[in-house]
Amino acid sequence: MKKTAMLILLALMSSASAVKVGALIPLSGASSVSGQAEKNGLLLAVDEINKNGGVLGEPLELIIEDDQSNPAKAVPAFTKLVTVDKVDFMVGGLGSSTTLAITGAAKQYNTFMAWAGAASPLVEDAMKDYPYFFHYHPWAYYNFEAILSFFKNLKGNKKAKNIAIAYEDGPFGSSGIQDTVAAFKKAGFNVVLTEAFKAGSGNFAPIINKAKTQKVDIFYWIGYDVDALPLVQQMKESNLDVGLVYGAPPSWPIGFEKNKLSQGVASLTMWTPELPSTASKNFVKAYKAKYGNITDEYFAPLAYLNLKTLAEAINKAGSTNKDKVADVMAKTTFDTPLGKLAFTPSQKIKYQGFKGSNWVTFQFRDEKRLPVFPLKVAKKTVLYPMP
Amino acid sequence: MIRPSPISTVLSVVLGVLALTFPFLPLGDQAAFMLQIANFTVITAVLSLSWDILARTGQLSLAHAAFYGIGAYSYTILMAHAAPWWLAVLLSGLIAGLLSLILGAVTLRLQGMYFAIATLAFTEVIKTVIQNLPDTFAGGATGMLVPALFGGQPNLQYYAAVVLLALTLLVSIWVRNSKLHYAFTAIRQGEQVAKVLGVSASRYKLLAFFISSVLAGFAGVLYASKTFFIIPAETFSLSVSVSSLTTAIFGGLYTTLGPVIGSVVLTVLEELLRLKIPNGYLVVYGVMLVLTILYLPRGIMGLLERKKA
Repeated sequence: MKKTAMLILLALMSSASAVKVGALIPLSGASSVSGQAEKNGLLLAVDEINKNGGVLGEPLELIIEDDQSNPAKAVPAFTKLVTVDKVDFMVGGLGSSTTLAITGAAKQYNTFMAWAGAASPLVEDAMKDYPYFFHYHPWAYYNFEAILSFFKNLKGNKKAKNIAIAYEDGPFGSSGIQDTVAAFKKAGFNVVLTEAFKAGSGNFAPIINKAKTQKVDIFYWIGYDVDALPLVQQMKESNLDVGLVYGAPPSWPIGFEKNKLSQGVASLTMWTPELPSTASKNFVKAYKAKYGNITDEYFAPLAYLNLKTLAEAINKAGSTNKDKVADVMAKTTFDTPLGKLAFTPSQKIKYQGFKGSNWVTFQFRDEKRLPVFPLKVAKKTVLYPMP
Repeated sequence: MIRPSPISTVLSVVLGVLALTFPFLPLGDQAAFMLQIANFTVITAVLSLSWDILARTGQLSLAHAAFYGIGAYSYTILMAHAAPWWLAVLLSGLIAGLLSLILGAVTLRLQGMYFAIATLAFTEVIKTVIQNLPDTFAGGATGMLVPALFGGQPNLQYYAAVVLLALTLLVSIWVRNSKLHYAFTAIRQGEQVAKVLGVSASRYKLLAFFISSVLAGFAGVLYASKTFFIIPAETFSLSVSVSSLTTAIFGGLYTTLGPVIGSVVLTVLEELLRLKIPNGYLVVYGVMLVLTILYLPRGIMGLLERKKA
């Protein structure tokens, strides 16, 4: 009895002094595939951090809240983490709209944000003068730079010049679409088609019919995972002949690579399990050991390194003092599964982690995602035209 | 004048005192979080009650997300163009009301599901228009940052929502105690009969639509100011309209207190379940909602009235 009481007391004492980290991620709603990957990455990081002595000599306590991919739900969930759970730091984050919704509350509570997700420059605008915002994910303009660089390579090597664009009519697909078209034209491409579609409708017949009247080298598709299979299936049924289908969804349907229709489809990611670095190989090994398989979703390693780098910075700072931790984060270079991470200024914020150089173009080939660009990480040359 | 039942009076006093004193309750660490929930609950109650005022004419509107969103967007755009906050708030409600007059003039002759579909289509049209306005004006599909009312001060924002709810309650009580109540009820129970009795159905329905939409527009302003961010896909989401009718049905249709009780119970229940069963709370919430609608067709107010009888 006495022993039990002692154990409870010790557990309570340990919990009282543990560093608490809150994570706000979408476990349900439109972004849940990436959100679940994020959760797996965070939990793996907690295991490793605590196995290696925790943070400041105590186990790190991670409290996860679901933002439901909904800005109105994100605000109370964030407030709960900060005021009820009294977390010392916040990690995670995925969608731009949910992140934007909590920027006001973050400033109000002076919260330290080591933020993995959100690509919209609106978030960058909102957090431009905030001293505790460390942003890991590249901003949208970095993403587009990487895509354009790959397309230019195709233009040079494969004479791919005509681009057809199909984009979903929601915020994800349509934001900045005019800028996208203008940038392609400026880079010497012919934009032969720009058509919106309703995400989840499964009907691409009008777009495909229009595309058939043009010579399309690159079919550039911006949408969600639900549309991936209907699109490629209808393209196949209609015998639409294109050089390459390039998709830019936030995540792909689970098991998409196993479907023959995926063969040759290309996309962008920050990471694939095939990346050769030691940090990436270690992550793959640890992930397989914990979950029995490996994911292709880059949000898993991104969330993993998000928490690991924060824990490392707190340990180096020797304190949970926000200024001291921010100082260490700003000066440290971290070795991560996604490559070297250092926080340098972006267009508007002071601490931007990954930029355009971290993007990798992959192609679905033989049930795998094979890196094909940039050439320094490519496993194979791009299959063009696709089968 | 329709006299409220003793139960309604007691509940009104309890809820009123609770609403007024909420920021001062000794909730310790939970205070800020609870205030957020209370704020969203009050905004939901305004929306739900405003929806019910129109429902009293028998019209099932799915356009509440549109008026809510129009209020939110008008406020944000006006503030971005340096309008004084009070003018931005006032005009936002009025713009929502004016658009409801245009929509109502065209659609209020439709009945039942045809009216519901027309209002749903209207919401989609407004969403598409906002998405396609120049990004620099309305943020496009990416959304807009919202200047917070009262500098984002949580207590003041909460009391602004409470004042709006009080105003909505007064409007609802006025409607219930005026000849409008008999006109609305007559139209709901049989429009043709009401017409024969000399009730101008189209005029009364348009008035109900206008009142309802102005209040929904004001609710949208407070919502936008609370979330600091609006985006067409979420602000004009069908779930906003569905939430306003669900809470009204759950609490008790065609009553003043029902939608308020429905909002309090469902919002608090959702949050509590989310805390206790983070991975399956929506299933439990959904089952409870279905059971309530099956066994309490007149909502919580129906149950209380039955108990009283």
